Amino acid sequence: MNLNYSDEQQMLRDQVQKFCESDYTFNKREEILKTDLGYDPELWKLFSELGWLSLPFSEENGGFGYGPIELSVLFEEFGKVLIVEPFLSTVVLSGSILDKCDYDKKAELIENITSGKSHISVAYSEEGSKNDHTYSNTNISGSGSDLTLNGTKTLVLNGANASHLIVSAVMNDELCLAVIDSSADGVSLNSYTTIDNKSCAEITFENVSVDPSLIISKGSDAIKLLDEAINLASLCVSAESIGCMTACYLKTVEYTKGREQFGQPISNFQVLQHKMVDMFIESEVCKSLMFKAMLECNSDSESKMKSVSALKAQIGISGKKVAQDAVQLHGGMGVSDEMSIGHYLKKLIAIDAMFGNSDYHFKKYSKL
Amino acid sequence: MEINFTEADIKFRDEVRAFLKDDYPAHVKAKQDSGESLTKEDMIDFHKAVSKKGWMGYNWPVEYGGTGWTSTQIYIFQTEFGLAGCPPLLAFGVSMVGPVIYTFGNDEQKKRFLPDILDFNTWWCQGYSEPGSGSDLASLKTKAVKDGDDYIINGSKTWTTLAQSADWIFCLVRTESGPIKQEGISFILVDMKTPGIEVKPIITIDGEHEVNSVFFTDVRVPAENLIGEEGKGWTYAKFLLAHERFGIAAVGGSKRSLKKLKEVVSELDNPELERKVTELEINLSSLEFTELRLLSALENGAHPGAESSILKIRGTEIQQRLTELFVEASGEYALIYPGPHGHGDNAKPAGPEHASQSLSKYLNMRKTSIYGGSNEIQKNIISKHVLGV
Repeated sequence: MNLNYSDEQQMLRDQVQKFCESDYTFNKREEILKTDLGYDPELWKLFSELGWLSLPFSEENGGFGYGPIELSVLFEEFGKVLIVEPFLSTVVLSGSILDKCDYDKKAELIENITSGKSHISVAYSEEGSKNDHTYSNTNISGSGSDLTLNGTKTLVLNGANASHLIVSAVMNDELCLAVIDSSADGVSLNSYTTIDNKSCAEITFENVSVDPSLIISKGSDAIKLLDEAINLASLCVSAESIGCMTACYLKTVEYTKGREQFGQPISNFQVLQHKMVDMFIESEVCKSLMFKAMLECNSDSESKMKSVSALKAQIGISGKKVAQDAVQLHGGMGVSDEMSIGHYLKKLIAIDAMFGNSDYHFKKYSKL
Repeated sequence: MEINFTEADIKFRDEVRAFLKDDYPAHVKAKQDSGESLTKEDMIDFHKAVSKKGWMGYNWPVEYGGTGWTSTQIYIFQTEFGLAGCPPLLAFGVSMVGPVIYTFGNDEQKKRFLPDILDFNTWWCQGYSEPGSGSDLASLKTKAVKDGDDYIINGSKTWTTLAQSADWIFCLVRTESGPIKQEGISFILVDMKTPGIEVKPIITIDGEHEVNSVFFTDVRVPAENLIGEEGKGWTYAKFLLAHERFGIAAVGGSKRSLKKLKEVVSELDNPELERKVTELEINLSSLEFTELRLLSALENGAHPGAESSILKIRGTEIQQRLTELFVEASGEYALIYPGPHGHGDNAKPAGPEHASQSLSKYLNMRKTSIYGGSNEIQKNIISKHVLGV
């Protein structure tokens, strides 16, 4: 039993931390968000050069063969500065599916991701699917080489920037995953921004012709690929939320030390001190659940889904609590858009809503 | 990172399990499992069994007769005892006064007191709190005045756990009244049979007699019973508080209670309660891994300090929550109050077995967030030492 990070993992953390602290100020983030893309392509190139985009791909696919522990390190640090770059959609969700699927031409798509050349998004969610990713009204009909895709997918992360989409659809009564070129005829897209400043899209497929060789997985294999990708993504956003919570209590401590009322720093007041201690404890116990979940994911344990659900359920509750208290203790500044603290609240609310909220995961946990 | 224990640790765990299976006194186990109170003799039998195995000094270095175990072994030992439903080992001797004696005491004192702690020949109790000194312990007033080769002690201690069973008490006493209250406190050992000591029971809201008031009237104690230097008692007291990091989270015992609670709740068809149990289970899991993280850091040579206050706060909250949910699971049968010694000669109570003890346990567990430095004091510690405010 050893829950200490290895030297290699610690070096990765130092590298990410250095980048986040020096190159990703809150003002820089504000500038990025003013652009049409909603992320910084220069930084994305830097991510590629630093090897971060290759991180979770197995060595046979040209990656570093790193896993859930390293991704958690990365996302925890990302969370501290509210990184908006589309790492989750391109590298984690699409990357996980491509890395594990049997599709014979995947090397090119993976190369496009790791080199930073293009983005790929997974389109699996639909109105009414209620976190059940086997639910799909989107379908592929026809036979032989004459296949067409019809349906609408919702909440496609970074959909507007993706060159390709991995779309889940029903074909011959079973779920399958197909790679679709976003610029193909019949693909239309309605892009919007999420509460945590992510680019997100509703995508409609109308008689889009599908090359049978681009159906990369079918049936139980396809479901398993989605299960695994979403489980890993849930772990990543949970790690991100822990970074957010850490930033929340640290920023709040700093703010209350500098803010004077009644002739003294308000951090002198015990009622505020205990609230900040509660914030600290919440983030620490969430971190403990993250250790359990990432280690079980790393060893591909049978109970990995259960431990990720425990984590996701808890960070939903704790994240909201910590960020709400952070806003409260910042007083009026807490609700000013120009201060970063309110953006942590938005991020934590968004994370709870993604991949099933607390209620969903409490139920899932008790059934597993 | 590695989530599993090493082969050597697993082998050690099996050894602990074998002890619990073969040498955990059957009459104690029966009472513990049914929730009946233990007598003084039961407690002695249990502790003597641990002594006989050579494990009483589980957190002591080898040179003083301890096991010299690693932090991981101590963790496994405590967790397995908790999972087996054992009563917690009394901390007053082995975890409190023992380490103070072998760290600050003289050779004579080590020879005189340590073997009896390891053999459980001496039952120790703790004389810290006073009627006017709880969280502000350093304000204590019980006075020890030097008179020849003796000290004469006057004053009173309170909330003294199991003083009615104790042979000796270790006390913080004031030997000097200067401007800085932490200075002038001394650490002294007192034989409970010394004339002038009076123990009066305090009955707690669960009806039990666990704690006491201890009054000292002209109690004459040989000066050789003073530990270390006169006036340095506060330093020793702080050392003692920091010494016991593990076990305070009570993960093993809480896991056992949770298992029972889940069995009870699964029969009730009560989704609201099931949800509360699920939340508690996840909280307990987070506590378990918080303790393991701290353990790993210790094994790696770190010296975590105030972080262990998290274990005290969360551990006691979970212990309390467990008893709260047992009461909820008892429904209307929670009304039935068995009194301090179970149902005794009374007729068998109405309702399921788990219900009859649920309220007493709930009431008893209220103490956990108050003792050992109240949870509010723990938050002050974290605030000062971790957050730096």
